[in-house]
Amino acid sequence: MKKIVACYKWVVDEADIRVEGKARSLNFDRIKYKISEYDRNAIEVGASFNEKQGCQFLAVTCGANVEASLKDVLSRGPESIAYVNDGALEETDSSVTSKVLAGIIKKIGEVDLVICGEGSSDGYSQQVGPRLAALLGYASVTFVNKLELTEDGIRAERKLEDGVEVVELTGPAVVTVLPDINKPRIPSLKQILAAKKKTSEKLELAAIGLDSLALKQKTLDVSGTVMERKNIQINSGGMTIEEAAQKLVQQLKADGSLA
Amino acid sequence: MNYKLTEEQELIKQMVREFAETEVKPIAAEIDKNHRFPVETMEKLKDLSLMGVIIPEEYGGTGADSISYMIVIEELSRACASTGIIVATHISLCCYPIFKYGTEEQKQKYLTPLASGEKLGAFCLTEPGAGTDAAAQLTTAVLDGDHYVLNGSKCFITNGGYADTFIVMAMTDKSKGTKGISAFIVEKDFPGFSVGQSEDKLGIKGSSTTEIIFKDCRVPKENILGAESQGFKIAMHSLDVGRIGVGAQALGIAQACLDESIKYAKERQQFGKPIGSFQAIQWILADMATKIQCSRHLIYHAAWLKENNLPFSAEAAMAKLYASETAMEASVKAIQIHGGHGYTTNYPVERFFRDAKITEIYEGTSEVMKMVIAGNLLR
Repeated sequence: MKKIVACYKWVVDEADIRVEGKARSLNFDRIKYKISEYDRNAIEVGASFNEKQGCQFLAVTCGANVEASLKDVLSRGPESIAYVNDGALEETDSSVTSKVLAGIIKKIGEVDLVICGEGSSDGYSQQVGPRLAALLGYASVTFVNKLELTEDGIRAERKLEDGVEVVELTGPAVVTVLPDINKPRIPSLKQILAAKKKTSEKLELAAIGLDSLALKQKTLDVSGTVMERKNIQINSGGMTIEEAAQKLVQQLKADGSLA
Repeated sequence: MNYKLTEEQELIKQMVREFAETEVKPIAAEIDKNHRFPVETMEKLKDLSLMGVIIPEEYGGTGADSISYMIVIEELSRACASTGIIVATHISLCCYPIFKYGTEEQKQKYLTPLASGEKLGAFCLTEPGAGTDAAAQLTTAVLDGDHYVLNGSKCFITNGGYADTFIVMAMTDKSKGTKGISAFIVEKDFPGFSVGQSEDKLGIKGSSTTEIIFKDCRVPKENILGAESQGFKIAMHSLDVGRIGVGAQALGIAQACLDESIKYAKERQQFGKPIGSFQAIQWILADMATKIQCSRHLIYHAAWLKENNLPFSAEAAMAKLYASETAMEASVKAIQIHGGHGYTTNYPVERFFRDAKITEIYEGTSEVMKMVIAGNLLR
């Protein structure tokens, strides 16, 4: 029986962040947290392998405030969650996150397949999956929008800018998935209520061999961006398409968007 | 005292909202326009185990608490009031009385398929001549060997055209008034049972509201719910649960009115500014939000009393009275904020207005709610 792990990040729901004043500072007063969007796809992949092919399916996460996520995630299919909840992880970068997650996954042991979302809803660095693969010594497969298990590995379809690549590999792998790989489930009321009967394992940083966390990246300031619109109407006078196209080209040249 | 939803209740709210936003709201205007019962939604509600929220797992439900039930109805109704009442009627007025008063055999046979969503339920009390005055029932049930024989007709039956199982009130002893009413579990396939005319309503057009006719309808003796003459008590207690359900439906409609109004007030520009920047609009929104919050607290409190096996009739009546009048007022104001656009079907607020009205009428009118409340004060 294959052992599959999905990694997820518990992120601020961007809909609750308010951009305030001319300084565009961010107000986090009334924020709620959620499972990072693409990680819901990663969890769904694992849940589906668990239900259809009887794989063992676990979830892992880390952060400073992840305990609030456990029931939500457990209602979506994993049999259990192994996690690190530590104030030291209040601010992390992909290097630290991947080290912690790799530590948890090694502790679980004998994991055949690790699934991550392609990028997180907040940082979207797209680095955790590949870094994790390097740390675990697993193969790394990114941009996956179709995934099958084979007898001794996986077969994945990668959606790339210039086409689709199909890869087959043997041995353990870390796969990062795109949102069109599946439609994450809405858990049923039964699944939500059953989540409390499932178990989670809290691990300390020391238990996974990490005593100090050296952040390579520090966030100095965060502010909102506002898209400035010029509200230029190209075809407001009902001109012909040809005339409108010419006017658009002139405008784009004037703006420096076209050479 | 704790005003915070539990983690589970929060997850349930999040789950039902996501489902309602993605699966219920997109068809709400269409089922209203076409007077179409949303059969496809019933299947999805079953998959999400939302058809037996407060019924224990051993009888096909989920065993969630009453506040979770209110959350489910509010969130469904926020997207579509027709869907909200289909579920609320099924649970409060059909599943619940069988759970509360049924025998073990009745629960196994009828409650399990209802609470798991395999079957749909309805409740038959109202008659053409017996609305608020329930004692004026003309439907009779006469014992004949191993069967009761039912004759008469019921009107305004929610889920009438689509339900499989009906809780039916009928007179077993006319001389005793309300004490002569008994309750029966009736299957749609029993001989002598038929569905009559469908009502063409002002609102909740996606729900089925029909006449139900009993013509020498033979109901097995073992299908009596509770004891003979207990029918009125069963009906009144079920309606207490029904009323918090209708309150939650009204709350969902009112919340939808507020949400749409806020959205419109931010988007709509007049005099070079969003209309939400004018105090006239701000005050309407503030009043709406305050009354909605009051309604929510009344409903949750009544549900909490029920959950803790405390008397809750008066509180349920207060919750329904206040929430339904809030829904009506909120829908009137929402149309006002939307101006001419609100009067058209291009925006959903005209539907909210038509849907809100019924919450002041069914499962006891606002006037009956005041009778119940005053009766509790003056006894």
